[in-house]
Amino acid sequence: MDRRNSSEKTTTSQGSTMKAPPSISVSEAFIVNALCVLGLAFAFWVANTVFSIDLVSHPSLTLFFISIAELPIVILLYSRYRQNRQQCTYLRAVGRGVLGVPIGALLNFLGAIALGAPVTFQYLPKTLNWALMMSLFTTVPASCVLGSSWADWRRIFAQTKPNGSIEYLICLPAHGAVIGAWFGAWPMPLDWERPWQEWPISVSYGTIAGYLVAMVASLGFVLNCCRSQNIKRE
Amino acid sequence: MKQSETTSPSEAAEEGRRRKRGKWGYIWPLWTTLLLHLLAILLFTTGFLLTRTELPYHSHCSDVSRSPCFSSNNGSCWTKPAVNRLVLIVLDALRFDFVAPSTFFAESKPWMDKLRVLKNAASTRPLSARIFKAIADPPTTSLQRLKGLTTGGLPTFVDVGNSFGAPEIVEDNFINQLVQNGKKVVMMGDDTWTQLFPHHFERSYPYPSFNVKDLHTVDNGCINHLLPSLNEEDWDVLIAHFLGVDHAGHIFGVDSTPMIEKLEQYNTILERVIDVLENQSGPGSSHENTLLVVMGDHGQTLNGDHGGGSAEEVETAIFAMSFKKPLSSVPAEFDSCSCQQDLDGKNVCISSMQQLDFAVTVSAMLGIPFPYGSIGHINPELYALGADSWNSDASQKLSEPDVWMQNYANALCINSWQVKRYIDAYSASTAVGFSHDELSRIASIYAHAENHWSNSTKYLLLDRQNNNATSVPALKKQIDAYFKFLTAVTELARSKWTEFDLNMMGIGIGIMLISVIFQVFTILRANKEHDGTLSSSGDSWIISGSIFTIFLLGIRACSFLSNSYILEEGKVANFLLSTSGIVTLRQSVIKGKLQIESIGFLILSTFCRFAIEVGLSKQAATSAFMKDYSSWIINIASGLPVWDYAAEVVPMVVLILLAAWLYKASSGSFFVWPWKYVILGTILSYMLIVAHWIADSNRFDGGSIPQSIGRTYIPRIIYAIGLGQLLFLAFGQLFKNSNLDCKTNLVAKTTSILSAWSSTVILLSGKQGPMVAFASIVGGYFIMKFVNIEGGQDGAHRSFSIMQWSLFATCLFFCSGHWCAFDGLRYGAAFIGFEEFVLVRQAILLAIDTFGFSIILPVFGLPFLVAIKCQANLGKNFIFIQLSQMYTTYGLITAITTTFTILCVTIQRRHLMVWGLFAPKFVFDVFNLILTDVLICLASIYYFDQREG
Repeated sequence: MDRRNSSEKTTTSQGSTMKAPPSISVSEAFIVNALCVLGLAFAFWVANTVFSIDLVSHPSLTLFFISIAELPIVILLYSRYRQNRQQCTYLRAVGRGVLGVPIGALLNFLGAIALGAPVTFQYLPKTLNWALMMSLFTTVPASCVLGSSWADWRRIFAQTKPNGSIEYLICLPAHGAVIGAWFGAWPMPLDWERPWQEWPISVSYGTIAGYLVAMVASLGFVLNCCRSQNIKRE
Repeated sequence: MKQSETTSPSEAAEEGRRRKRGKWGYIWPLWTTLLLHLLAILLFTTGFLLTRTELPYHSHCSDVSRSPCFSSNNGSCWTKPAVNRLVLIVLDALRFDFVAPSTFFAESKPWMDKLRVLKNAASTRPLSARIFKAIADPPTTSLQRLKGLTTGGLPTFVDVGNSFGAPEIVEDNFINQLVQNGKKVVMMGDDTWTQLFPHHFERSYPYPSFNVKDLHTVDNGCINHLLPSLNEEDWDVLIAHFLGVDHAGHIFGVDSTPMIEKLEQYNTILERVIDVLENQSGPGSSHENTLLVVMGDHGQTLNGDHGGGSAEEVETAIFAMSFKKPLSSVPAEFDSCSCQQDLDGKNVCISSMQQLDFAVTVSAMLGIPFPYGSIGHINPELYALGADSWNSDASQKLSEPDVWMQNYANALCINSWQVKRYIDAYSASTAVGFSHDELSRIASIYAHAENHWSNSTKYLLLDRQNNNATSVPALKKQIDAYFKFLTAVTELARSKWTEFDLNMMGIGIGIMLISVIFQVFTILRANKEHDGTLSSSGDSWIISGSIFTIFLLGIRACSFLSNSYILEEGKVANFLLSTSGIVTLRQSVIKGKLQIESIGFLILSTFCRFAIEVGLSKQAATSAFMKDYSSWIINIASGLPVWDYAAEVVPMVVLILLAAWLYKASSGSFFVWPWKYVILGTILSYMLIVAHWIADSNRFDGGSIPQSIGRTYIPRIIYAIGLGQLLFLAFGQLFKNSNLDCKTNLVAKTTSILSAWSSTVILLSGKQGPMVAFASIVGGYFIMKFVNIEGGQDGAHRSFSIMQWSLFATCLFFCSGHWCAFDGLRYGAAFIGFEEFVLVRQAILLAIDTFGFSIILPVFGLPFLVAIKCQANLGKNFIFIQLSQMYTTYGLITAITTTFTILCVTIQRRHLMVWGLFAPKFVFDVFNLILTDVLICLASIYYFDQREG
């Protein structure tokens, strides 16, 4: 609660001085989130019905499908809400979104290794595909919208002080995915000997679950944000 | 005092009181905590860790003359031999319902009625073949059970004895008695036997038992040697230990096809064995007087688990069969059997006995002295199977059962005398024996039985002409008296050695919780005082940092509730350490400083992670005991000569670098005389360590240094230098005039005591020592830097850094190649510099090796976290408050994790892995807690000097 209040305060105080962040209406936000979820569902559906594989049997390939399905949706959607529309064309936003994919994947890969992901050769593709998916959930939307503005990145990812409705859409799902992945790692050492306890299956489930929950939450925040803006306008 | 400038007049009185309190005011909570913890652990441990002292005494043939009983007069030992040869087939994890007919149970299951041969033998020849339901005592693991079966005692988790790591049985036992009395023993099957009895077997065919997935190697080995051996004459006792059922249970569970196939296979084997024995059982043949025993060492649950004390695990079976004319009947009083029709309509009788009684009964049948520490009694029904062979020398006037009863009474007399002798010797030789009341109760029961023996029964037995009418009731009365005594002893021993004392455990947990509350209270009070003297800067990070600390601590503590997380504790600790590193990175990005350091810290924790994984893989692979794992570096370095060479050289180079770094640090201005010499001593020690390694290695031929000097004297010199440094620091404290400001003083003190410890710790850790030391310096440096991120002067909320410090210390424990199990101890380290074994000395060295990097160095290094914050104008009292808070917090973190471990072993005390996993973890954690507390107390005395700054 504290944090939200303070962030709203900053919104109101900085709103006049800063360049207005691209705002997004509730219905638009809903459509963006719904499309992302649909992309995810589509990837699972294709994997299940067309190739008859799933996350447990072929984690690497399924994760790759998810990444492929999400990649255009995320980049194309979020590039529409880029900052500084005057200086930055849509194509440029798409370009930096594409650039954000490998960078984000690398960061997530390194993070996974530091937290204990296996590094043997057989796990390498799985880790890479997982990092690719993580990158689409965390850094790619941000790189589309924010570009290379270090201050904004820092504000959103380090301080968790999103400013404006679109930043809620970036910030919350990214944090949700990371926290979900972190919790998803906990069942791994248990001796239940289930196939889904393998790296990175349970972590991917955690990621997706966290991502979905945070998307719903972000919608709530966007709703709240818009309402306060309306009140202010009145 | 510089404190006076601080606050409002209302707190001046408080201030004065605190000044009067002086150093002891800060120290007493630490000591109180130590005492509370000691008390709690002591109480809990007496309730939980059942201990028993192994006595080194052995029974001898001649001993029996000291008893009031008759010894057999035809040259043999304690009792008249009833059988000459014994075939002992052990089927590991044999459930009782594998053997007993399915009609004995409520419903028939697929795995029942598979060992038909045993049931058929018992039903067709009820007098010479018997099935027993054998009740084992927990812990129901093979090693403990074999120990119990052969010694006739109740092995506990901690059998205090002389075996330092090696599982060889040093107590007197049935196998040992066989060998002592010239019997030849042949063994085949499970290699646990050869670990337990390395020098006893005439011939042995051991097969590795650790590969649970392998159902057939051990069994096929047994089968290949069993039948040929039956036809040979060179043994008196043959042991065949089959493992297939145990492994099938572990892998597939009881209700599975492989299990049923295994049972069918055993049925065939046993049929053939009985055939062979039967065919050669005629007069004059080799198996004329042979006893066949088929038994399980313990049962298993339907999932194939065992180790605990549930009915499925402790109930196993013993089948015994003799191949001669049987005794017509056992007197009904001693017959415990219950009979039922089996599926074919035949009558099958099943008796019941304690596994505890097996050793003494078989010893009595073979006519060898009973194992010294056996507390069982001779089972009448099993003993009756050998009855027939006494008829020849018995008086014709008596009926067969009466002769048997006379013999049995005498055997019980010897049995009771031997048990009484053991109980007396045990309570004389150990501090934690039986209570006085119980002993005197037992003594009176024994005296009563013996009186009866000396006054009446003895004459009855001597006077063979006596008629039955008077002798039989008297004998029965005598036997009852002995039974009463032996049962009382067994009950007493069981309550002492196999039952947890829940009251004691509860009180222990209660005191532990009180101590935790006390610590929290101390911290809160110190915080309040602290806030009085310094204005706290309200940073949201302080609150979220504390919350995050509690979160990490909570997760870590709760992870001990599951065996899986305990098994992977190193990885879990590293996961949390990396998480805390990521949080720090985030924080440093917010503050915009120290980003390099936090990335460095993450990289360091990644390295730790790889080291821990190497350690864990070693843990999984370990099966041999008493191995000298010199270090994981050797593990990596296999194959390539370049790697070999690097593994030898790199540690030395790192060590020399460390020495150079220390030299450079000590040449700094603030290291005045006492500290300077300590550090020079350490540098000398490092050089000596390098010399020791050169002398030890075969690569550099240590021609310049004679081997013995290099191996023995150099380590001893290093220990002596280390001890000297510590003494020097302790006494230098007394008459050193500190004219330095508090910060430099603290840094100098901390550095010197760390360097004094480091040489010994590095030497004991072996080649990995310098690397781990280097990692701990780097990690410590980073964590110290991170304290600044929190900002402000307010040191009270430094809990996050302390948590990080403690997690890092835990990681170092696993990095340096240890884990929380007794085979994780590096016994080799205890013998660096010493050849012979002295318990106290070697235990100290082992403790320093095990906990050097994870407790000793972190606890003494903790003041660095204060020093970085300390400013010259704050005075001594500030440092005292800071230090005592810091140490209390560190102690609290350790105490909370240990409390959870204790809670966890209490909850899981009936878990199948309680002896394999939880109990070792408990011992390690408790030791960890006590050592941390003691070191914190010592450190508080060392750092809190009285002189005002």
